[in-house]
Amino acid sequence: MIILFWDQAGNGSDVTPGGRNYLVLTTNKIHFGDLVQIKKQLISVISLCKERGLLHSAKASELAFALDPLPKDELPPSPPFTEEDAQDLDALTLAKSYFDLKEYDRAAYFLKGCCSQKAYFLYMYSRYLSGEKKKDDETVDSLGPLEKGQVRNEALRELRVELSKKHIAGELDGFTLYLYGVVLRKLDLLKEAVEVFVEAIHALPLHWGAWLELSNLVTNIEMLKSLSLPDCWIKDFFMAHMYTELQMIKEALQKYQSLIEAGFSKSTYIISQIAVAYHNIRDIDQALALFNQLREQDPYRIDNMDTFSNLLYVKGMKPNLSYLAHNLVEIDKYRVETCCVIGNYYSLRSQHEKAALYFQRALKLNPRCLGAWTLMGHEYMEMKNTSAAIQAYRHAIEVNKRDYRAWYGLGQTYEILKMPFYCLYYYRKAHQLRPNDSRMLVALGESYEKLSQQVEAKKCYWRAYSVGDVEKMALLKLAKLHEQLNESDDAAQCYMLYIQDIFSCGEQLEHAEVSTALRYLGQYYFKNKLYDEASLCAQRCCDYNDAREEGKALLRQISQVRDQIETPSADLFAPLSNNTPVRRVSPLNLISFTP
Amino acid sequence: MASVHESLYFNPMMTNGVVHANVFGTRDWVSPYKISLMALLCEMTASKISLPERRRLNKLILPLQQGPDLSLGQFLKTVEECCPQTAYAVKLKLHEMANGELKDMEYFFYDLPNPYIAFDSEAYKTSVVGLFMRHMFLAYDKLSFSQVYKLYKSLQQYYHSHYAKPSDGQVGLPALVADDSDMDLTNPEDAVGDRIDKEELDTPLHESELSRGPLSQKQAEYFLARQAYLLKNDENKALKPAALQEELNNMLKFNPDFAEAHYLNYLNSMRVQDIFLSAHSLLHYFDRLILSGNEGKSNGDEGYGRSLRYAALNLASLHCRFGHYQQADLALQEAIRIAQESNDHVCLQHCLSWLYTLEQTRGSDSTVLTEDSVKMAAHFCLPYLASLGIQSLVQQGATQGKTAHKLMDALKDTDILHWKHSLSELIEISLAQTTSIWRMYGKSTMALQQAQLLLNMSSLEPVNFGVQQNNTEAFAVALCHLAELHAEQVTYLIRSRLSAALPRCCVSISQLLWMLCDLKIQFERHMNEGKYHLAEPLVTAISALNKTEGLYRKAQVLKALNRSTEAYSILQRLQVHCEKTKCTEVVIRVMLSTAELHWESSGFSTALPLLLQALALARQHHLQSLASETILHLAFTQLMLGVPEQALCVLHEACIEPVLAHGAVMDKGRALLLTARCNTLASLPSPHLPAVLLIPISEAAAYFFRLNCKERLRDVHYLQAQLHRSLGQTSQCNKSAMLFRLLDQELQSPAPPVSMRL
Repeated sequence: MIILFWDQAGNGSDVTPGGRNYLVLTTNKIHFGDLVQIKKQLISVISLCKERGLLHSAKASELAFALDPLPKDELPPSPPFTEEDAQDLDALTLAKSYFDLKEYDRAAYFLKGCCSQKAYFLYMYSRYLSGEKKKDDETVDSLGPLEKGQVRNEALRELRVELSKKHIAGELDGFTLYLYGVVLRKLDLLKEAVEVFVEAIHALPLHWGAWLELSNLVTNIEMLKSLSLPDCWIKDFFMAHMYTELQMIKEALQKYQSLIEAGFSKSTYIISQIAVAYHNIRDIDQALALFNQLREQDPYRIDNMDTFSNLLYVKGMKPNLSYLAHNLVEIDKYRVETCCVIGNYYSLRSQHEKAALYFQRALKLNPRCLGAWTLMGHEYMEMKNTSAAIQAYRHAIEVNKRDYRAWYGLGQTYEILKMPFYCLYYYRKAHQLRPNDSRMLVALGESYEKLSQQVEAKKCYWRAYSVGDVEKMALLKLAKLHEQLNESDDAAQCYMLYIQDIFSCGEQLEHAEVSTALRYLGQYYFKNKLYDEASLCAQRCCDYNDAREEGKALLRQISQVRDQIETPSADLFAPLSNNTPVRRVSPLNLISFTP
Repeated sequence: MASVHESLYFNPMMTNGVVHANVFGTRDWVSPYKISLMALLCEMTASKISLPERRRLNKLILPLQQGPDLSLGQFLKTVEECCPQTAYAVKLKLHEMANGELKDMEYFFYDLPNPYIAFDSEAYKTSVVGLFMRHMFLAYDKLSFSQVYKLYKSLQQYYHSHYAKPSDGQVGLPALVADDSDMDLTNPEDAVGDRIDKEELDTPLHESELSRGPLSQKQAEYFLARQAYLLKNDENKALKPAALQEELNNMLKFNPDFAEAHYLNYLNSMRVQDIFLSAHSLLHYFDRLILSGNEGKSNGDEGYGRSLRYAALNLASLHCRFGHYQQADLALQEAIRIAQESNDHVCLQHCLSWLYTLEQTRGSDSTVLTEDSVKMAAHFCLPYLASLGIQSLVQQGATQGKTAHKLMDALKDTDILHWKHSLSELIEISLAQTTSIWRMYGKSTMALQQAQLLLNMSSLEPVNFGVQQNNTEAFAVALCHLAELHAEQVTYLIRSRLSAALPRCCVSISQLLWMLCDLKIQFERHMNEGKYHLAEPLVTAISALNKTEGLYRKAQVLKALNRSTEAYSILQRLQVHCEKTKCTEVVIRVMLSTAELHWESSGFSTALPLLLQALALARQHHLQSLASETILHLAFTQLMLGVPEQALCVLHEACIEPVLAHGAVMDKGRALLLTARCNTLASLPSPHLPAVLLIPISEAAAYFFRLNCKERLRDVHYLQAQLHRSLGQTSQCNKSAMLFRLLDQELQSPAPPVSMRL
């Protein structure tokens, strides 16, 4: 059980002289174990959000659902009704129904004179949404091609002016601060937006929307550390979310694990987040198990299913992917995630045109969908349409500069176009973003090798091996490089490490290359007159089809040589992994690597 | 990324996965500014305008059409300057529309003169104006109802934003002020009236030639082309790097598919030596270009195969510019390989010219490559590359000591080529090169003449056609030579005047050249005046710009401060280095300095072989000024070795004339002084010295006085006093002695034995 501190939100709300509803923070510190309190807070914040038309605060309900239900008398009382609230009640009810019908201007009109905080928020919020809606509408019939990028939410500036005035006067509550932050962000005033979001979080720590907006603005760990955030239990959720975003998966997993232990074990949100984290570090089996669990608990869920389909794709599980795709189509076929899943499905069936079509559809639904751009790039690569692939990857980068897959894809494209030097830049970018990913390092090494920069290539391969090689190719390539450069000792050492690596990971991977290693090692020992070891390697060679003849030939040679000297007493049938001969090459302190 | 273009939100008009940059198909559209322009055109055809006014207006039309949208105030002001009456009429027309109803605008379009009908008018359909009108008609016809309404609203805004301001002279200013104040001034109630202010917030208009508003496709192209052109031809006139960057970011925000902007960004980043940004922009540009070039769909001459080759080539040039020679080499190899695979000879030719440049910068001999390049370029009819190759050959030849007439012949031949193809850039380079060659040979008059020729040449480029000034690298080289030549003649004032002509905003090559030249001049001046403590800090600055030069100067300072051992070791190192890199000039100078060091330790006989070697080198490379300086040194050594007759002989034979004709003031003074001393010593046995000897001495004194070189002046006065005494002219003798005494007191440092210095 971890002990975390949090600010307790008092019983719902407090009425301050100014007539503001605040969730007032007291400094009472309770443990995470006090789930009842958390649940109470969640319930009250959900109702607050609902009153204000903030629809996407569903995360809170999801969390609340994950906790045990409260007995009737424990339910938090609804926030007290003030004089102002009573005054505005009718207007608010009317406006809220218009708001729900998406008639924002109408809602704003009826709310204009209202003075309660709730009404004010709804007033501003409907003006904001009306501006957004108009912006979207106007994008269609703008006056010219260049104006289209310039179409903007006209209401934003007015909102900013009004909100900033109130902000200076200190009249904004948590929700309006959140809205102010959103307005600032939309106006690209990012620095101010961060400040306002932090303020909003302090005023109302339970509003997950503000945290989420903040998370979009935090770009690196230093910035995250420099923020002063309230010590609330929700901060742990935020930190875990941030760690996932910043690719600090280990920390994120730790956080989520402790949250589960603290009592959120039923939360689908946490399960999905952990699954995504596992996906990011390519721990495929764990992630798959979690996603399957998630599907059981929440069978009509569409969020994150694109990630799930990626995993199924990597594993090549056609039936599962097909089942998932059909299932999602039944639920909602016009969702970005659905389209991505179908795209993956077609891609796995090698119907790349159809796959690309579905990714395009996903992009039509949401052009900022990063994954779809990258995946479309991959499809075009498959179709050998390099220029379209470059286009798709560039778009992905435009959406998110830190998308290492797109950079890597660009590198691959240029590698296919036989421009090894040109692709170096892209691989380097990808490597910068994922310094501990062996795939980029191997790609870099290959490019360097093509440019005959052996020193750099060797460094890359060795580094790829050191950070934990996923594809188990780095050592082999390194060994071959050493072989080319006639550094036979190094080559033998690498081959040996390679064999140990392959055998220690247990899985039966591609074996064609093991035979190469054995063949080389046999020759190497033979040349160094270590006949026992050489014959052992030759024996093992005979297990593989492509090296059998050479193995036999080597054995014959060895026996010839031995006849000339004397008969040795080698244990030829000992298992290799225990008896790998390392006399010339000093036995290394090897830690068998698990991927 | 917040600024992601959401343009695709409803319009991912993709075919084959490629989003076309211009999804709307029209390159032009109606804006309030365009409407006012149309009103102007309409007014011009309709009303009677006097001929000079009409002429002025006609001249205005094209820039107005091509330029970015102006605010109404700016627009009316420009028109007013040409013809106030028309401006008023246009204003009236706009007023009618803006204060009327939607139908007024519709009527305006309906009522416009139709370019199809008016056959004999100036606005006939094929004329520039007619074309513009037709574009506008088409664009207007395509508008939907809501778009027309929007256009009308924006026209109203456009008109009222001009008149809402009290003073219509300063349109840009109130908008900027409003930025800070509107938070306090406005209250939520008058949001509608506020809107106009807000609009202006978006577009704070500069009085400069461009505004921050969105540019149409054509206007953007025009802007980019012009800036790129200015960057190449006259950096002073281009926008400052920061401003240009901002402008480009703005443009890319509105239209991220505008690939050319990335290229300009690359050029701009090169100006400020930003490798990361420039590499990023370059690659981005080519990624984009590959898309747009895809329409050819072939891997051959057109299509994206071509841009791939040039992408690699450009990357090579980028690395080369930043001094990453190994990287550049790799990129170049790649470009060559791809070009070879697709048989692109032109691209290969470009690669070859970069290859020899690369070889040259790395200090290896690339003559053969260059010759090949010239031959092939001539074969493929690429005059630019061919003559660039020849110029590079000439440069190599000059450093390797090829005979002058061959070099000049080659340059003359290329000049003919240049004028034939009007390659103005190469003409400039050729002139600058001639200047440098003459200067190297020590013919200062010829160098001066060539430099003046270049600086006074009217530019051929239309950007400043007929104007003398042109800020290219060649221009900077000529300026530097000019400044140094003037400094040699002790006319320092000219330097400050010349430096005004150079671009100062960024670290361009010209700027670096000028900085080095300026430092060298200052250094020489301080050394001549004996202010070694002032010269010393300059050495650091010089070595930051040019290592070899810095080392040489450092040795000089050390020598002057009598730290001979250190100086000697530096000189030795320098000599080895320069012999390797074949900097003959520096080698000779280093030898001379070493010889001077030998003198200080009275090793005159050890200095001799060194000097003879230097002389041989100088002669071999036709470096006249260095040769005469060497002879000067040689004569001095001989003098010291006690053979003044020989020294005199050598001096008269080969030194005095060229020095007096072409040499620097310092050299002239030294030569004259030396001659006088030789004469004195040579005629010493006879008690009667000819009074003629005094003339060169006083001349030398005048030279040293001009240089403010007090130490040498002191020597001169000493010698003068001696001579006067032996001639029995006591009063003059006393006068010289007094001058000597005054200087001696002023200098404080004990006078070294006169004999010890040249």
